[in-house]
Amino acid sequence: MSAFDNTRLPVADRAAMTGAIKRLVAADRRSFTAVLLLYVAAAGAGAALPVMLGAVIDGIGTGWTATRVDVICGAIVACVVLQLVLMRTGRRLGYRLGERAAARLRESFVDRVLRLPLGTVERAGTGDLATRTSGDVGAVAELLRKTAPEVAVAMIEGAVIIVAAFVVDWRLGFLFLAGMPMLVLAGRRYLRLASPVFLSERAAMSEIAETATASASGATTVAAYRMQGERRDAGYARAATHMDRLKGIIRLQTWFFPATDLTFLTPAVVVTVVGGLWYLEGWVTVGEVVAVAMLTLRLDGPVFRSMMSLSEFQMGGAAMARVEGVHLMPDEVRDAAPEGSEVRLDDVVFGYGDGPDVLHRLSLHPRRGERLVVVGPSGAGKSTIARLVAGIDRPRSGSVTLGGVPVADVPLEVLRRKVILVTQEHYVFTASLRENLNLAAPEAGDGALLDALAAVDARWAADLPEGLDTMLGEEFHELNLAESQQLALARVILADPDVVILDEATAGIDPGSAGNVEASLAAALHGRTVIAIAHQLQAAESADRIAVVQDGRIAEEGPHADLLAAGGVYAELYTAWKGVAA
Amino acid sequence: MKPVPLRPPRLSPADIPADPWRYLLYIAKEQTGPVALGFVLLSVSGAAWVLLPWTIARIIDEVLLAGTAEPLLPWGLALGGVAIASSWVFVAGYRALFMAESRARVRTVERLTDHLNRAGTGVRGAVSSGEMVNLSTQDAHKTGSFIFQLGFGWMGVVMMVLGTVLLWDASPALGLVVLGGVLVIGFVVGPVLGRLQHHQIAYRSSVATLTGQASDVVGGLRVLRGVGGEEQFSRRYRDASTDLRDAGYGVATADSWVQGLRTSLPLALIAAVTWVGARLALNGSITIGELSAAFGVTALVAQHSGAMIGMAQAVIAAQVASRRLTAFFATRSDIADAHDGTGAAGPLRDPESGLAIAPGELTVVVSAEAKPAEAAVERLARYRESGAEWGGTRLDALALDEVRERVLLLREDYLFAQSLGETLRVDPALALAAIEAAGAGDVYSSLGSTLDGEITNGGRNLSGGQRQRLRLARALAADAEVLLAVEPTSAVDAHTENLIAERVAAARAGRTTAVVSASPLWLARADRVAWLVDGKVHAVGSHAALSAHDEYRSLTSRQES
Repeated sequence: MSAFDNTRLPVADRAAMTGAIKRLVAADRRSFTAVLLLYVAAAGAGAALPVMLGAVIDGIGTGWTATRVDVICGAIVACVVLQLVLMRTGRRLGYRLGERAAARLRESFVDRVLRLPLGTVERAGTGDLATRTSGDVGAVAELLRKTAPEVAVAMIEGAVIIVAAFVVDWRLGFLFLAGMPMLVLAGRRYLRLASPVFLSERAAMSEIAETATASASGATTVAAYRMQGERRDAGYARAATHMDRLKGIIRLQTWFFPATDLTFLTPAVVVTVVGGLWYLEGWVTVGEVVAVAMLTLRLDGPVFRSMMSLSEFQMGGAAMARVEGVHLMPDEVRDAAPEGSEVRLDDVVFGYGDGPDVLHRLSLHPRRGERLVVVGPSGAGKSTIARLVAGIDRPRSGSVTLGGVPVADVPLEVLRRKVILVTQEHYVFTASLRENLNLAAPEAGDGALLDALAAVDARWAADLPEGLDTMLGEEFHELNLAESQQLALARVILADPDVVILDEATAGIDPGSAGNVEASLAAALHGRTVIAIAHQLQAAESADRIAVVQDGRIAEEGPHADLLAAGGVYAELYTAWKGVAA
Repeated sequence: MKPVPLRPPRLSPADIPADPWRYLLYIAKEQTGPVALGFVLLSVSGAAWVLLPWTIARIIDEVLLAGTAEPLLPWGLALGGVAIASSWVFVAGYRALFMAESRARVRTVERLTDHLNRAGTGVRGAVSSGEMVNLSTQDAHKTGSFIFQLGFGWMGVVMMVLGTVLLWDASPALGLVVLGGVLVIGFVVGPVLGRLQHHQIAYRSSVATLTGQASDVVGGLRVLRGVGGEEQFSRRYRDASTDLRDAGYGVATADSWVQGLRTSLPLALIAAVTWVGARLALNGSITIGELSAAFGVTALVAQHSGAMIGMAQAVIAAQVASRRLTAFFATRSDIADAHDGTGAAGPLRDPESGLAIAPGELTVVVSAEAKPAEAAVERLARYRESGAEWGGTRLDALALDEVRERVLLLREDYLFAQSLGETLRVDPALALAAIEAAGAGDVYSSLGSTLDGEITNGGRNLSGGQRQRLRLARALAADAEVLLAVEPTSAVDAHTENLIAERVAAARAGRTTAVVSASPLWLARADRVAWLVDGKVHAVGSHAALSAHDEYRSLTSRQES
């Protein structure tokens, strides 16, 4: 029952990531190159301003005319316009490039998820996969569309400014590099420390949200058990943890901001002072000193922006590694071809993960077209039998076969035409009622869909405002538990498999109407092999055969009357269940 | 250790302002000290930033152009000092405001926590869980971070004013160009750019839709893999993904202008200042140093003019967030607690359905539909206002705390993230006894056979059946005078249900217990059965006596119909 094994899905390693990035670039090589060139050119136009200021200053010193000054100043304005055009074009192309790459990545992710082996999906739970889907896919899109271009623009701008300094004067250019060691050291340290700090802050924030949501969802419980004190403590504790995490961020930024500032403040001071001395020695001109000093101030923006994006960039990368990780999952080889639809369990031994055996040499042979009801106490292994027959898990030893081949080797596309498992856990897709049903039978027309709904006594469907086109799901028309169960059963009828496994499939339906649902369902499934796992005994009486499971073994097997006559476990249970009404 | 009645401190009527603006002010006031410190420090830092190019200009004029190395040492030291101050004082101010913002966030979360307790069941239906997430994270953040943004905006103002003054001093024309330019960038062009970004909002909602679709696929993956429909959902996702990509292209067109102008506008202002300054320098009105200062000061001031735009946006966002928070703080408890009667005794009676629960007995309530029966016991436990009575005293004349202490309603209760022991709220021996009686031994063993085993929120690490039995165990452990249970064993197999019914009946012997269930296993042990039809008591009697009715029999043992 409680097989909550948190086997995580893989995460892409460095090689896989490199491969993924190469593929993304290769798919759009020309745009990629164009974007980079545009960024470089735009940065060049921007860096030209201080350089030309230096030229003007030296020009004024050497007696330029007003016209000449105007020409150069006009050129400065032209540079600004050019910068705007180049930057705008580059950003636009870059944005589109990122958007395409993100679309490609998420589509291949979802396609891959839709091909994940059943067992993996069951084992990883949906938690890990859901986080990757809801958080990471979006984070990667943000990375490709925003952060990566932002970092690229800033880094290119920084590099071009440095090159510009060398162009003005190579000696001053070397002074310009005075802040670089600091940048490298601070950057490396920050990259090492930042991500966990930011991630832990986010985690603390989700805990706040989770605690508050729990208090709200459980408001009645809080009132009933008078848990106000506990909830208060829990809420305050989460807030205090968050405060600690925020302090972690500010501790990090307290050294990081001044350190990055030093990368341009140091050259600003050094260039001015040393450059001033060199001017007095006659090695450089005033204009050159001013130009390079002003270039240092221009470095502020790109350094700050790239550093601020660093941790985001890194976290985006981590998200991408998780998204790409799903592609590392080995594909399940399922290539057996069953003949017929006979189900057999022979000497099956099974346990979850490394856990103890749950089934001990269990054998069960449902006959074709028979209605077999499996009863027994919780934890006896009833649901495990269902999972094995549905091909989700493989037995440790013994065999579970469908049409003579192991069920777990039958390709899903073939398997689902023969065997379908319906459990207590139902899912209603945020889609129209038609789409929710059609997934079981894409070709089925409206008539068939309505018949299937009628077969499970789903009278509510007739009252829906827009009939089969009514959108279902939390934001639209939400189905209650009983209705979702009927929807799941209607899917089975549409899919029309040879073998149906119902694992407590009608547990949530009102006692008054469960009978109707079961009766209509039984009629609709007539002629199919039905393996019903039930905790209520009323389903058992009408069964062709009853199997009582206890401690992972079949304790008793036979029709209702025979078992009753035998006076064993079943008879005892039945008498108790019937109470005085018997 | 008996269940500890952990009562919340009696909360005085909330003094939280109901008006969104007042709430923001209220938050800021709590942080007066650090906010004031932050503003002072950022003012100093802003001044230092502007003085940086100005000091460089002094060195150009007084060292380079004067041709003497003598003033280089003092001016060089001054430059170093200004550089250090600009950066370090900034961080100190940033730190003060960050702490103020963080504390404001924390305070809002604490207030939310208290309000959840105060409003109690009144929050049902008032906020969705999605909204609760937003209130406690985004909204708490935005109402705090406006303090932060105001600080940066203020720094931008300081830089603009000082920059204008310094350049005005060299030449009023330069001062005017800088002031006019910054104002145009900050207050005219800024909002226009902001408007372009509205594309982004529509885009973001498309992103949310697509994420929703992907989550839908993952959530229903078992169905898709088990029944089919992968193709259909893959196609649907691809279509939505393509739509989003195309919407993204639209954003790219607008956003690229925003990004382009954001860098180009400051450059344009620099170009203008350079041109004006160059002509002034050419005719000797200003020095070469002053021309350089004009360039540098403009560059820095223009770069920070963005903070002034950010300031306005942050205040608007904070007001919107504050409105949502104050609306939540305005929710009130749905159960009035106006009276303080105590000591009621006798049968619990619900006039609306005619249901009566006799003291000291096990009553089983049978109903074809679960809803009306649940509503009746909700009235008896006072989760709905009604004329329900307890031995002749109206429940609403009793102190609510008295009712909560003595009457416990068990249904699909919430399981919080706690250890098993904390969930059961009694000492280990009683806890284990409750687990045993509720047939929840497998919950105990699946959590590592220790009461320290952790349960996650909503009991998500347990199966549906396990959650149900754990809830029952908790209710039994609470050992309330009156226990009203709605379908406590609906997800349990007959074998286990039989054991549970037997043990619960024994454990509650002599105490008042009512169970809503149609299961013969409960009915067989009932002292009295109340049969509800259409929400009204149709007949009361023993299970055997009622079984004479065909309709009753078909409801409780369907196979015979």
